[in-house]
Amino acid sequence: MARIIGGIGTSHVPTIGVAYDKGRQADPVWAPLFEGYKPVAKWLAEKKPDVLLFFYNDHASTMFFDLYPTFALGIGERFPIADEGAGLRNLPDIRGNVDFQAHIGESLVNDEFDMAFFQDRPIDHGIASPLPLLWPHDPDWPGIVVPIAINVLQYPLPTGRRCYRLGQAVRRAVESYPEDLSVVIVGTGGLSHQIHGERAGYNDTDWDMKFLEMLRDTPEDLLDLKHADYVRLGGAESVEQIMWLAMRGALPTHLTEVHRNYYLMTTTAMTVVAYEESGPEQHTRSDAVAQVEA
Amino acid sequence: MFTQNPQTVGIDELTGTYVFDLRTCNRTLAFNRFFWNMIRPEFRQAFLEDEESALTAAGLSDEEKRLVRARDWLGIVQYGVNFFVLEKWARVVKRTNLEVYAIMRGETLEAFMQTRAVPHAT
Repeated sequence: MARIIGGIGTSHVPTIGVAYDKGRQADPVWAPLFEGYKPVAKWLAEKKPDVLLFFYNDHASTMFFDLYPTFALGIGERFPIADEGAGLRNLPDIRGNVDFQAHIGESLVNDEFDMAFFQDRPIDHGIASPLPLLWPHDPDWPGIVVPIAINVLQYPLPTGRRCYRLGQAVRRAVESYPEDLSVVIVGTGGLSHQIHGERAGYNDTDWDMKFLEMLRDTPEDLLDLKHADYVRLGGAESVEQIMWLAMRGALPTHLTEVHRNYYLMTTTAMTVVAYEESGPEQHTRSDAVAQVEA
Repeated sequence: MFTQNPQTVGIDELTGTYVFDLRTCNRTLAFNRFFWNMIRPEFRQAFLEDEESALTAAGLSDEEKRLVRARDWLGIVQYGVNFFVLEKWARVVKRTNLEVYAIMRGETLEAFMQTRAVPHAT
């Protein structure tokens, strides 16, 4: 049976990709970002997941607004990385697995998540910005990607609660696949940032910290937040954090953060967090605390 | 008759924030497509070689053409263009996102960077 062994939340700022391609990993301005991903890359190298399943958003590269799906699952053995106006990046095509992707799609649709599907399309920085910081790519990626794009560009967006439930359905889909694949769930985007209008440059680190705490410990308390709440609290584009809710929905109740890095350099609070299910001892402790508090 | 999406109530009250929704997109699809097309080398080349012809070929209105000619980044956003297609054009006209953010705020890049955590970042 396929199984979920952990989760990652990560920003997908396009300039991370630009800095990576220019070899600025040791540049003092960028080092706090790149150094912050190394423990997560090491964790992945040790855990050796077969699959990274991404909840991410397209930025009108794979699809355009003439037909813009709310949830779209990519099917393919390979996905080229998109040209977003500045030419192609020197990275291998993202690897896929059609049997596994198709199973996830069938399971989701049978579970009442009526996905759209895309094939033979490039994928942009929603995945390609953080991917080379997580996985090596020389000569090729060590595993396959399941891309699930969530519309965060054109309102109406799916609600936070709907994204969380999509994550729960993805867990059922993964665990109903007979092959022994290990899967890490990745949610991309955020944290606080706004990059359009006169309010561009808005951030709130206190809210970011509160969000991370609630996401880990009490995610269901986030589910009633409206899109307008995210926009107000963390800036317009921080509504991307509903994709972290999708990731969280696929993970177990009790989580431990195995790593966190937060670097607000210019306009986006660039963040990476890795999660594992907390051990039985921690379960016992937190249950005991809950009983005392009750 | 206009109906309000309950998820977006209050966003319009945040100064300098613009909701890109189905109504906006329906009004501005051709303009958004013009910027979106910049992901294709042939469209980038055509724009750089003959800007006026590219604007006409895209079927833009006089107002839309004026916004492009003026490099009016904030005006383009206020008109109803999604930033994520606009940033593709920014690459073509050699503006960084940080420069575009500063322009939208009505600041010089230098003044904008002084408001950032790492002011000397590029």
